[in-house]
Amino acid sequence: MGSADERVVAVIMVGGPTKGTRFRPLSLNIPKPLFPLAGQPMVHHPIWACKTIPNLAQIYLVGFYEEREFALYVSSISNELKVPVRYLKEDKPHGSAGGLYNFRDLIMEDNPSHIFLLNCDVCCSFPLPGMLEAHRRYGGMGTVLVIKVSAESANQFGELVADPVTNELLHYTEKPETFVSDRINCGVYIFTPEIFTAIQGVSTQRKDRANLRRVSSFEALQSATRSLPTDFVRLDQDILSPLAGKKQLYTYETLDFWEQIKTPGMSLKCSALYLAQFRFTSPHLLASGDGTKSAAITGDVFVHPSAKLHPTAKIGPNVSISANARIGAGVRLISCIILDDVEIKENAVVIHAIVGWKSSIGRWSRVQASGDYNAKLGVTILGEAVTVEDEVVVINSIVLPNKTLNVSVQEEIIL
Amino acid sequence: MKALILVGGFGTRLRPLTLSVPKPLVDFANKPMILHQIEALKAIGVSEVVLAINYQPEVMLNFLKDFETNLGIKITCSQETEPLGTAGPLALARDKLIDDSGEPFFVLNSDVISEYPLKEMIAFHKAHGGEASIMVTKVDEPSKYGVVVMEQSTGKVEKFVEKPKLFVGNKINAGVYLLNPSVLDRIELRPTSIEKEVFPKIAAEKKLFAMVLPGFWMDIGQPRDYITGLRLYLDSLRKNSPSKLATGPHIVGNVIVDESAKIGEGCLIGPDVAIGPGCIVESGVRLSRCTVMRGVRVKKHACISSSIIGWHSTVGQWARVENMTILGEDVHVCDEIYSNGGVVLPHKEIKSSILKPEIVM
Repeated sequence: MGSADERVVAVIMVGGPTKGTRFRPLSLNIPKPLFPLAGQPMVHHPIWACKTIPNLAQIYLVGFYEEREFALYVSSISNELKVPVRYLKEDKPHGSAGGLYNFRDLIMEDNPSHIFLLNCDVCCSFPLPGMLEAHRRYGGMGTVLVIKVSAESANQFGELVADPVTNELLHYTEKPETFVSDRINCGVYIFTPEIFTAIQGVSTQRKDRANLRRVSSFEALQSATRSLPTDFVRLDQDILSPLAGKKQLYTYETLDFWEQIKTPGMSLKCSALYLAQFRFTSPHLLASGDGTKSAAITGDVFVHPSAKLHPTAKIGPNVSISANARIGAGVRLISCIILDDVEIKENAVVIHAIVGWKSSIGRWSRVQASGDYNAKLGVTILGEAVTVEDEVVVINSIVLPNKTLNVSVQEEIIL
Repeated sequence: MKALILVGGFGTRLRPLTLSVPKPLVDFANKPMILHQIEALKAIGVSEVVLAINYQPEVMLNFLKDFETNLGIKITCSQETEPLGTAGPLALARDKLIDDSGEPFFVLNSDVISEYPLKEMIAFHKAHGGEASIMVTKVDEPSKYGVVVMEQSTGKVEKFVEKPKLFVGNKINAGVYLLNPSVLDRIELRPTSIEKEVFPKIAAEKKLFAMVLPGFWMDIGQPRDYITGLRLYLDSLRKNSPSKLATGPHIVGNVIVDESAKIGEGCLIGPDVAIGPGCIVESGVRLSRCTVMRGVRVKKHACISSSIIGWHSTVGQWARVENMTILGEDVHVCDEIYSNGGVVLPHKEIKSSILKPEIVM
């Protein structure tokens, strides 16, 4: 372990409202990083993982959402963690490395020896202390968390090749057309402060190239304006690819779960993964009940303390119920996320679905989907304040906010 | 007085229910279909019923043995060895139908459910003095059927027009006839159609009269019409014998519940529901527009609408069964399953949801 005066800072990239459009209609109401998985905001899970880092001085959330959208959450989590958490708003998207570089002065205020960089939209166990230890052992500038995936799915991610003995990153290609490797970038990194020099190098290089083109010809000017702005630096293509094989970057492989949270459907799967993790990390967050005095609970379930569950309801597995939700008599909930202020009336059934804030599900109605997380309509999503009337069936559908359904629908997107 | 009920063949249109019993024995409103007819015949003094059947006569006769003694009516079978159409079976049963009395006899189609105003028909028959009477019913879309063109005031039938493209009338053959024994002389023992070959000849001689059926009429030979038929039947029960309908805070609309059935707390039943003998409907169950046959168990919080649940089947907790789902005998729908129009053959277990109408072999 490092000495006591070594300080660590964590930076979590949360993106902005123009990103995460695939997360609609849920992101119409709330910044995606605050959408609850296993009853906790998405960003809560990486933040909570940071707590396990020794000598953690500060956590920064970097994104281009309005500051007020994060203000409440940031103040409450700071108190809870007893570690300062700050939201830093970018004036525009700078790319993952550019965003980090943009706030280098603030980040370096604490004079950290190491900087964690985490993407908010990945779901994993965030084995940060292990990464830090490995990184110190490797002695490089950066270490990337990697995971082995199936060869067929690898091309949706950054594929990389590492030295099997030294774990050095030898080669990196973002979303290749042909197969490179079944090891992929998890979007979780640790760096020494030299990373800022590397990002500056890319930025300077790009500036020079743009100037060179500007004087050459009209054609070159056109292509230069189409290329990226000089302060937009991506971590993957601009840093990992060129620095691979130069004994500066290393890899740390996780054998736990890992998923990317791009769609509402995936959020349901990720909610399940985090609930399962609670069994080991925070068992007190999981509900229990046998159906006598309180509702029958089966499998991993989170219930907010302010939610009201009728004792004849049966809940689980993989259910999370948010604040002030009311679950009526004889209700059955399986694999679903019930958001704040939802009312589910007597004998209704919800399976593989996300029920938006303030929505109401009528008596003997049914909201269901196939549960195929990768299919467009594999999880039924009800936006905010959707009313499903008594006995209506909603199957494999997405319903935008403020709609009332009085007839059954199947395989539909309802605007 | 005697009567012939045309039972016919395999009842394929009412499968999977008819895979377990012959069609006339399929329950309708908690009673085998054919009993509705036999009871109506007995009520107006018919002493012998002949069933024209070409499939499983032993099953039928075994089943009807008890009713023969209970109702005090003689029931016999006339078995076709080859399909004889709608008139041929009359020729085949000729000896059973003719006696010394010279009285007319009834012919009923077993697929049809109505209020059976047979007494009125006898009076009508006597009044016109012709050779044959047929019951006709008004329909919305006559082009789907054979239309009976008749004189409004007397009911004298002019002609039959099969599936007319242009409107010629809106009365169709309701499948209930009262015939003088002499009609049998007009029918040869071969496959023939009563509507196409026999009746037109009698009409040509101005000896065929049609009476417009008061009340409802429904051919319940297929599931959709079976469910509609139950609604019409229960409507008519509401008018004629409302005491047979269930009442209570958990009942909406017209519902019949066999006295041996048990219904739990917090259920909502109706409209247009029939719950058969020995059924157990657990708490929090919703039933509407459906038939739940003998020995069925519907578990807690399940929801059934517009469906037929065959004998001794079970519907699991929080299951939903709807949209013309037909469960054959002894089908088990597991907990939390959704069936949207599943047609399930007997003795199956349904473990995964049926999202679109399909047949489960």
